[in-house]
Amino acid sequence: MKRWIADNSGPKEPMLPKRFLISLFTFVALLTTSLLAQAQFKKPKIGFLPGVVDPFYQVMEIGVNEAAADYGLEVVTQYPQTWGPTIQTPILDAMVGRGDLTYLIIAPTDKEQMIAPLQRAVDAGIKVITVDTFLGDGDYINGKVTFPLSYIGSDNVEGGKIAARALAKVVGNKGKVYIQNTNVGASTTEQRGKGFKDGIAEFKDMQLAGEDYNLDDAGTAAQQTAAKLQANPDLVGIFGVNVFSAQGAGNAVKSAGLGGKVQVIAFDATKDAIENLRQGVVSLVIAQKPHDMGYLAVAFAMADARGVTSLPRRVTTGYAVIDAKNVDDPSVSRFIYRVGK
Amino acid sequence: MEPMLSVRNLVKRFGGLTAVNHVSLDVYPGEAVGLVGDNAAGKSTLIKCISGVYQADEGEIFFRGERAHFARPIDARRAGIETIYQDLALAGNLGISANIFMGREVKRKYLGGMVHTLDETFMNEASRKVLDTLNIHFANFGEKIEKLSGGQRQAVAIARAVYWQAKLMIMDEPTNNLGVVEQHKVLDLIGKLREEQVPVILISHTLPDVFAVTNRIVVMHRGRRVAEKRTSETNSHEIVQYMVGALDDTR
Amino acid sequence: MGDGTVARQKQLILVFSRVWAWVFLAGLIAFFATSVNIQSRGGVNFLTIRNSQNILMAIVPVLLMGLGQTFVVIAAGIDLSVGWVMGLSSVVSAMVIVALTDRGTYEPLAIVIGCLAGVVAAIIPGLINGVIIATLRIPSFIVTLGMSFIARGVAFLLSGGNVVGGQPQGVRDLGNEALLYLISGSHGGLYFLRPPAVTGEALRQLDRILQWPVVITFVLLLIMLFVLHKTQFGRHVYAIGGNREAALRAGIPVDRHIIVLYALSAATAGIAGVLSTARFSGGSSIAGDPLLLSSIAAVIIGGVSMFGGEGSVSGTLIGALIIAVMTTGLVMLNVQPFWQYIVVGIVVILAVLIDQARDLIIGRMEAG
Repeated sequence: MKRWIADNSGPKEPMLPKRFLISLFTFVALLTTSLLAQAQFKKPKIGFLPGVVDPFYQVMEIGVNEAAADYGLEVVTQYPQTWGPTIQTPILDAMVGRGDLTYLIIAPTDKEQMIAPLQRAVDAGIKVITVDTFLGDGDYINGKVTFPLSYIGSDNVEGGKIAARALAKVVGNKGKVYIQNTNVGASTTEQRGKGFKDGIAEFKDMQLAGEDYNLDDAGTAAQQTAAKLQANPDLVGIFGVNVFSAQGAGNAVKSAGLGGKVQVIAFDATKDAIENLRQGVVSLVIAQKPHDMGYLAVAFAMADARGVTSLPRRVTTGYAVIDAKNVDDPSVSRFIYRVGK
Repeated sequence: MEPMLSVRNLVKRFGGLTAVNHVSLDVYPGEAVGLVGDNAAGKSTLIKCISGVYQADEGEIFFRGERAHFARPIDARRAGIETIYQDLALAGNLGISANIFMGREVKRKYLGGMVHTLDETFMNEASRKVLDTLNIHFANFGEKIEKLSGGQRQAVAIARAVYWQAKLMIMDEPTNNLGVVEQHKVLDLIGKLREEQVPVILISHTLPDVFAVTNRIVVMHRGRRVAEKRTSETNSHEIVQYMVGALDDTR
Repeated sequence: MGDGTVARQKQLILVFSRVWAWVFLAGLIAFFATSVNIQSRGGVNFLTIRNSQNILMAIVPVLLMGLGQTFVVIAAGIDLSVGWVMGLSSVVSAMVIVALTDRGTYEPLAIVIGCLAGVVAAIIPGLINGVIIATLRIPSFIVTLGMSFIARGVAFLLSGGNVVGGQPQGVRDLGNEALLYLISGSHGGLYFLRPPAVTGEALRQLDRILQWPVVITFVLLLIMLFVLHKTQFGRHVYAIGGNREAALRAGIPVDRHIIVLYALSAATAGIAGVLSTARFSGGSSIAGDPLLLSSIAAVIIGGVSMFGGEGSVSGTLIGALIIAVMTTGLVMLNVQPFWQYIVVGIVVILAVLIDQARDLIIGRMEAG
């Protein structure tokens, strides 16, 4: 079995009894449920539709698959080739068109534009759980969109704040900082940027020197950062809102000979980001918990199918802050997005 | 008889080069005039001045008795001067009738003139008719032009000119790249045009062709008109002498 | 005897080269119909009303962009700007609708004006494309590539990169409601224009047949079909693509025609943008870009020659259908849709090869 968590399982137990106990338990559980709740319970069949192919969603898929294996559920996973509702919706429609899925775990590619297509899925009898991105205002109880079962994801504004505070700590709570953002209007990265600005505002001796958009290109990020460093020799920190932003910013800092003087903080703990951390290109990495999102979403689907009615409508999975010192600590390194071999 | 086309002292320069040097030329109804000369003698430039591709620097052109100013080729065409170039000016991807009616398609009106559709039936019929009058017969009438032989394409171009009642035909090397049988077909068509009183200016390197269909031959050499002979009163040896500059009536 | 056989063979090759895309599409549908059923042990069906409607909705933007493109490519040009022009139109229409409804304009009127504004916003870059290409003789792919960046920039500037939301219900209805509603099953029924107020199992069985974007697209398709194949305008498109010089000498106003063609291409992209706004109840500048290459692929699969002069509107429809059927079918087979790229790529190359092979074989037959 694929293990994405490094080594956190504590003292090893003999395998056989554990497996035996689980099988026995499952057997008994199945027997009782089939006898007692034969009519009510139908095992969920789950569709998983991420936003696009990237390590973040691939780790989420690992979580989904682990939970599905644990519960003995079938999952149909489809990745869109490109980001955006125009690409995601036809795939969503085809998944709904299958007619055999009862739950859908989806990372909507837009919080407004995916409402109508997902309403259709709900009309067709599919229960929807959104991960990573919420629909509407994210308040599924009193907000404008209430049809999803739950939202499980990171609070990106909070993530930005955590980044700001972590950066402030490293630079001694004072100095000028700068944001390398991806695309105007990409909601998650915008929220991280906003959270970061809010976070910086908490420190009276820290100022924002500006924000640039690199269109998700590390080369552009490097160019913009180099120009910014020229114009602001007193810059102390840079927040790269995602992997490429941070990588470009880090490279620019390094080639300007300012490594160690200007701190770069990166969002998302991909292997590349961690490699950059080890090489000193970035100083801090903020990791989300996509595995938790995936696992929880399946567990929620299972619980709902079982008739659990008190599921939280919004779950934020939190962050881990990784730096050069704790990167090899298993309790932290388990949050690195490890995919494949 | 009044000439259909009268060119007076035409001059066309390109920078320092005088491509056409004070050339005059008259063409009468029912006449076929051969225009010959070596490469760069100025034949093509002269033709392009007449057909509106170039504008002359000096001199005058009279067409059907009136002073003519052709700013663009289409102006010359509208006046009735049809030029059949080597590239034939046909659209290879369209059929015969579509080419004959290109730019002047016949339409049918619906809904009080709000909707126009192509009247294919009429255009096909009319095309067949004009081809018949020229004694041209296609086994493959529905084919695209690009599927036709070179001679057949020439025939379509000529039929188009006839259908639209050209007053003067200019043909630039019409028999190039054609087989012997097809060459004869095209020459026959030139004869037919003369019968219809449509004068023809024929540019050709193939002197036998020129002798076969023209009644007058104009020779150009280095931009000047060096000779004008009745076809019946000259021979190809003499014409060649003029073409290479060994003879020159203007000297 | 020999002549007859050759003629018959020639006929056969011609027919094949014309209908292979239809055959391929039919084969694709048959393949998915059986394999999806077998794979799911009968649990999932490809041939359902819901799926057919999904596929029709999926082809809307690809087909619309492809329709204008068909005209442009037949006239020996190409329009690479339609993707971002579609995004620009989407953003503008959404902004106008929001601005008007916020001022209390009667909702249907606001939507109509907004849609028109979106299409006009698309036509402007199209006209500029056409004028530059026709009068300055700059290759169309360069001009339209430049214009695609400009349209993208303007769309981002206008929207601030955000999705323009806050659309009234009518917009969503335009993009999602339908001409017919069918509830299958015992309590079923057919409803016209207005969705029945049902819940539960009936809602689950409710299929929307011919949603408005599909209806609009197919009306446009018929108009374009008529214009290209039955009118003088269409004939001149072929003439320009076949031999521009000949068209010019024949007195066709070539420059004006080319300008109109690029405006038309932009207009169909603009309609795609407006319909995207409606379907997703929001204007998005990135709505069209990911579909640009698919739309060009649809045009090529449909048999439009990139050298100009050849092609048809129905061909583009098939091209778009092949791509959409593939996406839906692969998802239902639970194969990653990335395979779609590979298959579409093969089909595009195949389409061109078939055309060339046909000309080669027939040429040889005629020669000897």
